[in-house]
Amino acid sequence: MFIAIRDLRFAWGRFLLMAVVVGLVAFLTTLLSGLASGLVKNNISGLEELDFTHLSFEYGNKPSYRNSLIERDMWEGWRELEGVQALEPMGHSMFNARLMDNTSLDDVVLWGIEPGSFLEPQVQEGSGLVGAVENGVIISELLVERGLKLGDTFKLDRALTKLKVVGIVEELNIGHVPIVYMPIRKWQEATYGPPGYDGREKLPDILFDYATLIAMKIDPAVSAETLAEMDIDMGTLTVDRPGAYLASTGYREEIMTVQMIQGFLIIISAVVIGAFFTVWTIQRTQEIGLVKALGASNAYLMRDALGQVVMLMVAGVIVGVAIALQLGQVFVEGGFPFAMEIEAALAAALFLVLAGLAGSALSVRLITRVDPIIALGAQK
Amino acid sequence: MSLQIENVSLVLGDGEQQVKALDNVSALVEPGELIAVAGPSGAGKSSLLAVCGGLRQPTSGRVSIDGTEISGMKPAELTRVRREKIGFVFQLSNLVPALSALDQLLLLVHLQGRRPDNADREHARALLDEVDMSHRADRRPNQLSGGERQRVGIARALMTNPKIMLVDEPTSMLDHNRGHAIVELLAARCRDHKVATLMVTHDRGMLDVASRVFNILDGKLSEAA
Repeated sequence: MFIAIRDLRFAWGRFLLMAVVVGLVAFLTTLLSGLASGLVKNNISGLEELDFTHLSFEYGNKPSYRNSLIERDMWEGWRELEGVQALEPMGHSMFNARLMDNTSLDDVVLWGIEPGSFLEPQVQEGSGLVGAVENGVIISELLVERGLKLGDTFKLDRALTKLKVVGIVEELNIGHVPIVYMPIRKWQEATYGPPGYDGREKLPDILFDYATLIAMKIDPAVSAETLAEMDIDMGTLTVDRPGAYLASTGYREEIMTVQMIQGFLIIISAVVIGAFFTVWTIQRTQEIGLVKALGASNAYLMRDALGQVVMLMVAGVIVGVAIALQLGQVFVEGGFPFAMEIEAALAAALFLVLAGLAGSALSVRLITRVDPIIALGAQK
Repeated sequence: MSLQIENVSLVLGDGEQQVKALDNVSALVEPGELIAVAGPSGAGKSSLLAVCGGLRQPTSGRVSIDGTEISGMKPAELTRVRREKIGFVFQLSNLVPALSALDQLLLLVHLQGRRPDNADREHARALLDEVDMSHRADRRPNQLSGGERQRVGIARALMTNPKIMLVDEPTSMLDHNRGHAIVELLAARCRDHKVATLMVTHDRGMLDVASRVFNILDGKLSEAA
């Protein structure tokens, strides 16, 4: 590193320019992945908050929240499996909601859950479903932004069911749509009952034998084969948490977009660094030949060159990531979905440095090929 | 017996393009002796240095430094021989651009895998002093004149206490007076440090300082009368 450090000082202008480029790439990588993972988190925040290990859908090619229909036999069947520590049928349906003055609240997802069960979220404001009025619901904070308050009543299009806000949770969504948590019985009435049902006539019992999903907590000791056999017996399709996320609308595509952006940025970084160090090495051919003639081994010169790459990359990446995280904080305060864990930022930074090293592989190869004999004879 | 060349031939190129760059060359350079090899360009001067410095393997014949034969060694071994036993003085400006004059010398310590200690620093400063460059020790090559660079080059060549010194056209970019001063300095340093020195030059005005003079022409070496 003797020459490398002095090179940095001697040709500081060039290296500074390059560090700025590296910094910008690191900045972009961090900022975009922060924004993207904020978006991704925003998609499935409701699922992230839900306390389950497995979700069962109706059997099909792939799990679908929209098309799944589960019968009582299925969840009662699952309940008998050894290792199922908790189980609740759960309703999932999407409605357009309106305030009583017909102001639109846009789409909401109704989640029908057993009040007081492990599926009920912790409210920030108001009360839970247990002991609340029969049509009481807990809403995602996103609906507060759309105009709902604690104690307000709103109605669902088509079903014409009127619901009363008794509790508010943080912003919990699925497929970016805010969630309304309600007692599963009320959910079954709203989803399967006649429009405008007001509770005065008795609905057929069979309505209450259906739900959308089975949410379960299953002992990790239960094998995948056992679950697969159960699926066949019950006509269900059971997925773990990542599987449940992937089933959410748009989640898979969003994850792929995020990974593609990061991948491209890392490739760009490798190419830019590679190009810079290749040109730099070609410019230094004479000097490399000289130092080899003086007795430098290839290993010495390679260490020197790679050390230079690492110093440049680390400096650029640290500055770029730091600025992006600062700006991300501003975004968070401004209400943008920006999410960046320190581990993820560090991993991206490490990847960038590795990409720089990979990109400089060509220049290192050039170094090994310089013939020290060029130190003899006339120059320049 | 410090630098011994025995019946060395070097054939470059292949097929019909073959050129005999060195043709059965023999010479012996004793410690403290400065041997000058003069000849026009293309006569084989650079090839002679390349073979003595382990930068090219001779096609036939032997090169020995301090009794150890280097012809036939592997590239990595030759790199070590260059690092430990040979001091090179190149044509003008063959210094590392980013390094100060003092660092040019200390680089050789690094190449040996050590961090320079105080003794190394004192040694380097003493050598710079010998070539009247201690007052410019912190200057980089681009801040030095041609003659000054060549002085630093001589000090660098002596830094590792080499057995032999190989000098390539030391005066090519200097006017006669400055060039002559450099060669005189070189001769004095090689006497004081007991280094066997082989200098190639096309400048016949520099030959008076040499202990012995050889002529080279078409790859053949002959001692001048």
